Amino acid sequence: MSNNNIWVGKQDLVQEENFMKEVQNEMHSVSMEQVEEAAEGIQANRRDFLKFLGFGIGAATVAACDTPVKRAIPYVVKPDAIVPGVATYYASSYVNGGDFCPILVKTREGRPIKIEGNDLSAMTKGGTSARAQASVLTLYDTNRYKKPMMKSADGMTSSSWADFDKAIKSKLSSGNICLVTNTILSPTAKKVIAEFKAKYPSTKVVTYDSVSSAALLNANESCFGAKVIPNYRFDKADLIVSFGADFLGTWISPVEYARQYATKRKIDNVSNPTMSRHIQVESHMSMTGSNADNRILVKPSEQGVAIAYLASKIVGGSAPKVNAKAAKALDNVATQLKANRGKSLVVSNSNNVSEQILINAINNELGNIGSTVDLASASMQRQGDEAGLEGLINDLKNGSVKTVIFNDCNPVFEYHNGAALKAAMGSAYKIGLAYNPNETISSCDAIAPINHTLESWGDAEPKKGSISMIQPAISPLFDTRQMELSLLTWADSPNVNNNADQPYFEYLKKNYQSGAGDQSGFISSQSYWEKLLRDGVANGKGSSSVSAFSGNVSAAFAGVTKPSNSELEISFYEKVSIGNGTLANNPWLQEMPDPVDRTSWGNYLAVPVGFDGVKRFFGMTESMNLQDGDLVNLTIGDKTVQVPVIQQFGQMPGTVAIALGYGREMSGACANGVGVNVNDCLTSNGGYTQYFNTNVSVSNKVGKEDAFSCVQYHHTYGVTDEDKDGKQFNADEEALGMAYGASGFQGALTDRSVMYTSNLADLPKSIKKLDKKRKFAQHLNEQTLYPFEEYTENRYSQGHHWGMHVDMNACTGCNACTISCMAENNVPVVGKKEVSRHHEMTWLRIDRYYYGDVENPNTVYQPMMCQHCDNAPCENVCPVNATNHSAEGLNQMAYNRCVGTRYCANNCPFKVRRFNWLDYTTADLFPANQVPINGEEVPYGADNLTRMVLNPDVTVRVRGVIEKCSFCVQRIQEGKLRAKVEGRRLVDKDVRTACQTACPTGAITFGDLNNKNGELNEKLDSPLNYIALEEVNVKSAVTYGMRVNNRDTSLDA
Amino acid sequence: MINSRLFFKLSFLILFSIPLLLTAEPTVDVGKTVFKNYCASCHAKDMKSKLTGPALGGVEERWADYPRQDLYDWIRNSQKMIQAGHPKAVELWNEWKPTVMTAWPNLTDEEIESVMLYIDAQANKVPETLSVASGGGDVDSTENGFGNWIYWVLLGILGFLALILTRIVGNLNHIATVKEGGFAERKTLVETLTSKSVVSFLIFAAVILGGYLTVTKAVNLGRQQAYAPEQPIKFSHETHAGLHKIDCQYCHDGARRSKHAVIPATNTCMNCHKAIKVGSEYGTAELTKIYASIGYDPSTDKYIEDYESLSQDEVESIYTKWIGDNIKAEKGIDSLDQTGLEMVQEQWTDLVSSLTNEQKKKVQGPIEWERIHNLPDHVYFNHSQHVTVGKVECEACHGKVEEMAVVEQHAPLSMGWCINCHRQTEVQFEGNEYYDSYENYHEQLANGDRDKVTVEDIGGLECQKCHY
Repeated sequence: MSNNNIWVGKQDLVQEENFMKEVQNEMHSVSMEQVEEAAEGIQANRRDFLKFLGFGIGAATVAACDTPVKRAIPYVVKPDAIVPGVATYYASSYVNGGDFCPILVKTREGRPIKIEGNDLSAMTKGGTSARAQASVLTLYDTNRYKKPMMKSADGMTSSSWADFDKAIKSKLSSGNICLVTNTILSPTAKKVIAEFKAKYPSTKVVTYDSVSSAALLNANESCFGAKVIPNYRFDKADLIVSFGADFLGTWISPVEYARQYATKRKIDNVSNPTMSRHIQVESHMSMTGSNADNRILVKPSEQGVAIAYLASKIVGGSAPKVNAKAAKALDNVATQLKANRGKSLVVSNSNNVSEQILINAINNELGNIGSTVDLASASMQRQGDEAGLEGLINDLKNGSVKTVIFNDCNPVFEYHNGAALKAAMGSAYKIGLAYNPNETISSCDAIAPINHTLESWGDAEPKKGSISMIQPAISPLFDTRQMELSLLTWADSPNVNNNADQPYFEYLKKNYQSGAGDQSGFISSQSYWEKLLRDGVANGKGSSSVSAFSGNVSAAFAGVTKPSNSELEISFYEKVSIGNGTLANNPWLQEMPDPVDRTSWGNYLAVPVGFDGVKRFFGMTESMNLQDGDLVNLTIGDKTVQVPVIQQFGQMPGTVAIALGYGREMSGACANGVGVNVNDCLTSNGGYTQYFNTNVSVSNKVGKEDAFSCVQYHHTYGVTDEDKDGKQFNADEEALGMAYGASGFQGALTDRSVMYTSNLADLPKSIKKLDKKRKFAQHLNEQTLYPFEEYTENRYSQGHHWGMHVDMNACTGCNACTISCMAENNVPVVGKKEVSRHHEMTWLRIDRYYYGDVENPNTVYQPMMCQHCDNAPCENVCPVNATNHSAEGLNQMAYNRCVGTRYCANNCPFKVRRFNWLDYTTADLFPANQVPINGEEVPYGADNLTRMVLNPDVTVRVRGVIEKCSFCVQRIQEGKLRAKVEGRRLVDKDVRTACQTACPTGAITFGDLNNKNGELNEKLDSPLNYIALEEVNVKSAVTYGMRVNNRDTSLDA
Repeated sequence: MINSRLFFKLSFLILFSIPLLLTAEPTVDVGKTVFKNYCASCHAKDMKSKLTGPALGGVEERWADYPRQDLYDWIRNSQKMIQAGHPKAVELWNEWKPTVMTAWPNLTDEEIESVMLYIDAQANKVPETLSVASGGGDVDSTENGFGNWIYWVLLGILGFLALILTRIVGNLNHIATVKEGGFAERKTLVETLTSKSVVSFLIFAAVILGGYLTVTKAVNLGRQQAYAPEQPIKFSHETHAGLHKIDCQYCHDGARRSKHAVIPATNTCMNCHKAIKVGSEYGTAELTKIYASIGYDPSTDKYIEDYESLSQDEVESIYTKWIGDNIKAEKGIDSLDQTGLEMVQEQWTDLVSSLTNEQKKKVQGPIEWERIHNLPDHVYFNHSQHVTVGKVECEACHGKVEEMAVVEQHAPLSMGWCINCHRQTEVQFEGNEYYDSYENYHEQLANGDRDKVTVEDIGGLECQKCHY
């Protein structure tokens, strides 16, 4: 076990030999077969080489003779808002079903290229999610529907909108209609649907969510008389108990909740530290669970009784049976909850009305309603009820619905009974209002392509009274039309002028000018409208008519899920990245590693890590001993699929878990065939989809996955050594002492300071320990002949000296920063196979470490990017001086100088340098270098449409060069220039890195170390700070803040 | 030798003309200057077409019936003459009113005579031959030729001397050997030249020279100093920036606020050319191109509704009418004759070929200029940094654009060139609070330890100032 009781995975924990070797090998040895395989596209022999050589010289000669004509094409009439070369920002919103995030869209020369958070929003205050960040890439999805299409004798044929509308209208007037949609946040869209319904009164609207919260809505209706999601206030809760709700990752409004949550988790006052306590009750370690102080393990089917158990302790009633350990812990939780009346919050993702009523009863009894559970400005982010889908299946079967309109949704894939839906809708006329293909839309008779959010006008009301604007940042790229306008056209609405330049814009504007939204405090509707357009958000006050709690608690106790006595249970979860498959065709999100298990491109079966109590760990059970990447047959009900395994710490024994949303068949090149589909393994209880299954078995190993794409063991920065027998060991002080009989081995390599953690109660002690370690490291670093201090003083004392602070207490591991970094810096996507070969290109990775109790550990996330060392080891070894240091403390990388020796990557202690092994961007001049990657004709993102997302201020790197985090130097330069032009000193807000702006919790602070009054220097005052590997004397510019948990050890007993 | 002969001729000419310039005798050159400064804003440079004022060609003949002094008076103050009732003046006024000719009371008789000479020269000029400006260029090139020529002569002499010396040394050696009684066969010249040492020396020299040339040529690959392609519109910076003194940033408005200086949008041209519809140099030939790009009908002075969707025939009929009408007006005829029709057709064909290409089939839409200043994709350059913050003059990099009828790339735009400027250029510390963070430099400047802060001093040579 390594130092500080911290580990990244099982192999690390037991110092597995192969693993240690792999870690030691910076560049991950690639077998000769793999090399040959990669080179199969070239197949050049000596003659070909000579040919290429001859061609090369010839080409160079010709190039030298003739100046290639490049054209400069100006505007005919330049729009006022655009200055070529200067970014324009539009306030808009990211909306995908119920997912919502207020955003600013950065456009360059009319192309949206980056999403930023909108800090005027009271909900998110500028935070974003990985999904919102990646939505800009979806705009340039090559699989988009580009024209209206109708089914004809020879398949789908495109038609003009006029013909299309005529055909649709004739279909709509014959027979009953059903409109199937995900949650609609837009009040104006709802008005549109009302108009549609007025024209076609037979229309029924079925709303469902890809991951259901129907029970929560219905429970709230029965308890409070309002079918809404409460406005949860995690920033007011000192004690948070979550039964399976992944509120930091995927549940309802994660960006908002993460921001609120972090305000109570950051330690501002070290002498009198306070932070909330977060207890997660679950079986599979979710991203939220990984951030929890304590996790109470219950099987998925046991979650209901666990809620009932806690309810019985709080509101009274007979306690059902739960597992002994959980029961004991829940007794303790109940006591603590009672001590935190009005300052606690209990939430659950349970899709069982009775369980949700009990949750409400608990919150009500604790006086949380009105404080941490605000029903007045309720959230609208989930409105779906899958009962409607079941009804639709019946209606289709008995023929009462003749026409179905799918509004950009995919119930055939997402709904557990999707196969039945598909079978039932066979004879009905199916109209798809769709953005890109999916399993439902591809069987439609007519497809009306819709705009991307970034091409549409619209609004969203995520919370009662708060309106957020959607305004287009680009005109539609293809012949598409937004859903609202299609419905209005089909309804022959008199309120829309189809001859107008932007008909739906007029419609939307009229709606607000006639008083929609909370316009109190505005002198006119016009001023409200203008504020909406400019700010993107209007944070109004909501008012819901809610009654006092009136839930039937005794009935609820009887209605909770009966626990199963099955030996093995499986839970299904939604990934932070692709959701329930809705974003599966986005390569950025596919390549984004899951925060917890760190796998990408596919869903892996999380199996528990068994522990024999001594020092041996095994996957699943001792006899099965499954290893990471082993293929097993997973049988759920009567379906058997072959899935790879990942060993997951914190997974409850007797349970396994797998992500939903993979195994798409009708999506795009990026999603199809990646992972397996388990949506049809979901069960239903009283019409509510249940996200677990108790009828499950896992076979022994049946094979090994070809491309095991878990990034956790790539680029680890362990320091290892070999003993006399050539055996690898982790070079910490204790191990070295055993190997060489020495202690205090130079100090430098021992006791690596990668990660510091503390319990809140031990904080003073931990600070002292940290201080001692830092002092020691600094003492060692001072023992030098080189006058470093003097040098730094001369070099960095004026102008700027850039630095960064990362508060690991605020980092929840959500990966918004990594996607933001990819978008900002044109980081290529490499695909599953390349990821499995350690070739992922991410400049910023979030390392996940476990610590503490091996059976139920705590987790810490460490965003790791180039540390911009002032004494950088990479710079010294570059033979061509391609990487060197700037006077502002930046570790610069000049791609055009780089010859690809990779010495720098080898010498980097943090393993943050990435090498372009293949031509991922097709930026190479010579076609022979463009080998096919993952069998793709064109690498991901290298086609002309997707290239529109590239940031024009950042070079697209070619094959054979090293790249790495630049501290967003393009933003630094831009910020400096802004200050220079305005003739003033640079301030913090001038330069904010992409990761910093994306972060929903404000964990990352970037700034000028020379600005003594800046935010950064304020953060650097804390005694919780440390520098990773300070003892190796690289003088990093990045400082980390120690992770502090508030674990209550009495809950562990 | 031809060059040098020409050089002598030209220098003789120049020497001869200096005294002429010094005296106040009227000359074409003086006339040109005067014309540019005073007349060109209203009178066409070709002296044949009408602009705000009448075409000046043949002005002397038109005034031949009156004393020369009357013409001078007219130019110095036309309104006075009209009021005085001078018949020619009244005639002109009736033709041109309400346009008033600006009074130029300060022009001397000699200057006016010079202008007359210039007008004559311009009016009688055979198009597209001897241009006044090209003489200077020739002198420059002969000078360069002369410089090279001197080196070649010196090299020749040295080579010749070396040959003689070798010969002498050879002879002496031969004599010495013979004197010592040895037998030495004298090598012939051919044998010497084909000897092993000479051949290997030549090969060695060829390799060195070849290597040197390869490297220098390779370094220059992709560089295009003096690149001056023909543009779709014969836009003359000489006329706009030089003659009319329009500020660079009036059109290139991105330079002060963006990384791109920006090629102006067609609607920027329209700010002036809504009024100035016939060019001084090419008449309607070039200006019609911008109208055809943006969809402005100069005949009716209106933007054409829904221009984008017009067919090419419709577009053609609009603009050929305009071109034809102008030819008619110029020639004073009511309908176009054969040559007139040909002229219209010629202008239209030229317009179409300028505004369309393989990708762009329609005349409507943006004008696709040929880009002259190209930086590689991995170089970040920002105009506003240099223009607004650094207060660098446009000429520093772009040369004397106001003298370029066809723009050419003035600077090599090589990295060495950038770096060199960053080494020498002083940072505009004064009055920009941004630079207050450079406390040490301010202190050193104050106590005299440092006389200036160059771009290099604040990190202007670092890779990631331009490459990221």
